[in-house]
Amino acid sequence: MTTQDERSIARDRMRFIKNSQSARLCYLGILFDVLYFVNIYKSDVGTYYYNVKIGASIVYNLVFLLAAFLASEGVKNYKKEFSYILFVISALQIVRIFIIPMQAHNATTLVNEVAVSVMNNGQFYRVVIYLVLSAVALLAAAIINLQKSNAIAEHLKSIGETA
Amino acid sequence: MATLSLQHIDKIYDNNVQAVYDFNLEVKDGELIVLVGPSGCGKSTTLRMVAGLEDISNGKLLLDGKDITNAPAKDRDMAMVFQSYALYGHMTIYENMAFSLTLRKENPNVIHKKVLAAAEVLGLTSQLNKKPAQLSGGQRQRVAMGRSIVRNPKVFLFDEPLSNLDAKLRGATRREILLLHKRLKATMLYVTHDQTEALTLADRIVCMSMGHVQQVGTPLELYDSPANIFVASFIGLPPMNFFDVTVSGDKLKGEGFEVSLTPEEKQTLAEYQGKQIVLGVRPENITVGNDIPATVTMNENLGMNTLVHGYIGGNTGVKVTAKLKGWTDYKADDTVSFAFDRKHFFDKETTKAIRGGEL
Repeated sequence: MTTQDERSIARDRMRFIKNSQSARLCYLGILFDVLYFVNIYKSDVGTYYYNVKIGASIVYNLVFLLAAFLASEGVKNYKKEFSYILFVISALQIVRIFIIPMQAHNATTLVNEVAVSVMNNGQFYRVVIYLVLSAVALLAAAIINLQKSNAIAEHLKSIGETA
Repeated sequence: MATLSLQHIDKIYDNNVQAVYDFNLEVKDGELIVLVGPSGCGKSTTLRMVAGLEDISNGKLLLDGKDITNAPAKDRDMAMVFQSYALYGHMTIYENMAFSLTLRKENPNVIHKKVLAAAEVLGLTSQLNKKPAQLSGGQRQRVAMGRSIVRNPKVFLFDEPLSNLDAKLRGATRREILLLHKRLKATMLYVTHDQTEALTLADRIVCMSMGHVQQVGTPLELYDSPANIFVASFIGLPPMNFFDVTVSGDKLKGEGFEVSLTPEEKQTLAEYQGKQIVLGVRPENITVGNDIPATVTMNENLGMNTLVHGYIGGNTGVKVTAKLKGWTDYKADDTVSFAFDRKHFFDKETTKAIRGGEL
């Protein structure tokens, strides 16, 4: 079999095989987001987090989980539009670094009348890494799905089938 | 493809129950052998021993001359199709068919070509993205066959694959299996209790009862020249009629009837003069004549034929079923005269056919 044949067969296989690579990357993105979320709030920083942001962050995280999971199902079936959703939520993961983690890292609060850093360096780097890894996984899922969905659309057109 | 040799095979379970006795069979390359018999006769056990799912207690199993008696099932290069399909419900048809090759870590592109080729043969190309639950029973069974085909095994084993299907689908799938066999020219072992499947599919039939092989032969041999009363009664629908008769000169004398023998039949029964034998007559070999008076009990119109049930020699006589051509309209207690066109003779003690008696 020539390389050309191999490529053609590999494309034809996509008609019957789900895009599990992108779906798995979505799950990875969700996993890193969960790790970020369980690491973000410290309990010994007084009332620092007692404001509207904590509620908003919880709601956003639920929306993120839902969107990422739906996207994982969409990309499984080579749906191009879910790549765009993944691009957006991937970018938002980076934006999140500059909201709670960055602000908490730069802030101090009184605990037992002693000024302490709300988020120490170790915790800050950890949550930033989780968010970056989550964003990278989602971005990779989006790019791979975009390439594959274009390839399968082209292949289906060449064999006279509709998606 | 392959030849298969079963030599003096026994199956004895741990509780000393023997399911198969001294099973001998030579399966030629590309042959379709059907094991047929009633439930519990040992046919499925034999198939499972061939597949490696049951240990062989005694005897030898050779595949292409190589002893595989104790080889594990995975090393036998045989594929089995089960009555229950055994498909993975969460996988698509494509994934089900590709599964065994994926486990063997074959090249995905090679798997793809094999699956598409098998789907084409089985007419499943448009179903590949569906789940098993979305298919009919016949289609599911075809998927199960497809899963075997992609493996390109040396021997195909079928364990009552059509039993879960309704009558119409069974007939259609049976014809597909026959076409598949002709196309693949594969060696196949097929187990069924349905004699219609056996007669229509088989190159040769192995008829079994109580763990013993009763007769091995072509479908026509089993139908035309049954080796004993069991085979004669099992093959043919409705089953053969049996009458206890005494050989007396050039006549057979039964309860309430007499039948004349041809010179050839008399010759065949020369050793049985004055003795009791069993006369077998297939329902389709009974016509309306004027030899044997019978009392009708039931008339079943089947369209092209009519089954007439009754008694020879009055209401307490011997039961008889005749398959008459066309549409008849006998009522209960009507009297009708039958003639036997063709006769089979069996030794009363051994139940074996008296050879040369079938004309």
